[in-house]
Amino acid sequence: MGIEVKNLTKKFDNKTVINDISFKVESGEILAIVGFSGSGKSTVLKLICGLIEKDSGIIETSGDIAMVFQYSALIDSLNVEDNIAFALKERKDLRKKYTERQIKNIVKEKLALVGLSGIENKYPSELSGGMQKRVSFARAIVTSPNIILYDEPTAGLDPVSSTLIEDYIVRLKEETHAASIVVTHQMSTIMRTADKIIMLYNGNVVFTGTPQDLMRQDTPYTKQFVTASLEGPMTMLQN
Amino acid sequence: MRDFSLKSTITYKLYRQIILQLEDFLSTIGDIVIYGKEVLSLIFKRELDWKAIIEQCARFGVSSLPITLSIVGMSTVIVAMQVAGEMVKQGAGNYVGMLVTILTVREEGIIMSGFAIISMIGSSIASEIATMRVTEQIDAIKVLKVNPIRYLFVPRVLSGILMMPPVLVVASLVGIIGGGVAAHLASELSYRAYFESVWTGLFIKDINVAILKSIVFGFTIALISCVCGYNAKGGARGVGIATTKAVVWSFVGIVLWDLLFSIIFFF
Repeated sequence: MGIEVKNLTKKFDNKTVINDISFKVESGEILAIVGFSGSGKSTVLKLICGLIEKDSGIIETSGDIAMVFQYSALIDSLNVEDNIAFALKERKDLRKKYTERQIKNIVKEKLALVGLSGIENKYPSELSGGMQKRVSFARAIVTSPNIILYDEPTAGLDPVSSTLIEDYIVRLKEETHAASIVVTHQMSTIMRTADKIIMLYNGNVVFTGTPQDLMRQDTPYTKQFVTASLEGPMTMLQN
Repeated sequence: MRDFSLKSTITYKLYRQIILQLEDFLSTIGDIVIYGKEVLSLIFKRELDWKAIIEQCARFGVSSLPITLSIVGMSTVIVAMQVAGEMVKQGAGNYVGMLVTILTVREEGIIMSGFAIISMIGSSIASEIATMRVTEQIDAIKVLKVNPIRYLFVPRVLSGILMMPPVLVVASLVGIIGGGVAAHLASELSYRAYFESVWTGLFIKDINVAILKSIVFGFTIALISCVCGYNAKGGARGVGIATTKAVVWSFVGIVLWDLLFSIIFFF
């Protein structure tokens, strides 16, 4: 089992941002959470990794959780090597587990996995957005997590960099066999990475299915989302 | 159509603003106490990263030294220049060194060092941590299961505790020597007369209290700066608000401590 969410609810002040949602992601599977901006997608990820507290419901996870943030969130005072090795050097249960030499080798291996060998001494400010994202992938997988959460992994990237990132998401799933959740509203990311999809609107699940089901546009929600239409049940004003 | 509801009235908005400010004030005090307790607990448990502590000590002590020495030195020179001439005229030239020393060791050295450290180091700590907060770097640290208080607060607070006393000692020495030069230039008071009177009014208790005060000030400045940065919200504006809040709260914090020390030791 990877992640199981049952009847999850979250309110901010008196506004319900996540309303009684349930879903399950098995190991080696990628779930895409899609929806318009402000629909509560990123909140779901923050609830799963414990950055915010849920109001009610159950979140069951197996093992370590890693997260790739929308803007990479690399620690800008550390170089690439120290960013990737951060958990190995600073986490209480891992601090004394590895020698300096072992840590260097692990960092090299993870950097090679994301196609960025030889940039250990560079600082985040010296890297492009796509490279920062790939370094944050390497940082996420350094502890061999069972669950990987991606928050808008291709946001702000050019189409080619987006394709590269999408390929790495699939590759990491195959190599780590982790249960993954990708929050996105980009069709290419959904189609190239997801095994299944849930669509959120105002904190409610309005569609569950596969990428093929989404493309069939059988419901007013899927039709509006795929055609990017202003006409339909989802109004931006409510967001 | 005009809105006549209660929420649209100026009185309601004013009260709401006051309540929000009060809530923020109380929650900041609460956070300072809670995080302060956690930092001390981690220090006593020796959850220390010495490499990070040394880096922060260099920042706290060495980088701040030129500005601290300038501020303490100049303020002491100003005092000496203003009092020396008058005291010599009144036949009290032999007490100039004593007066400048008591003033520097008991009050001016430490409070001016505190102000210099707040402006230079406290503001930089707060803006650094606030930027990490608004760019999700602190969230990333938490997701990686690293304790952000141990990683961010402990090295900075410990460096404040360790570096403030030496900064005070050096700044006070520079201040006293500068005061002697200023007194000589302003009133032709001999160096011998000045430096002999330095020791007349200085007691071990003054030095001990000054050292203790500097430790408390270092702890207060670093902790408040960390807490204000850590609680930042929003984007660039949030970083600015956190930095201003850290400076203002640190100023108020050290002045309150100063008052408390004066009541306990000199009242």
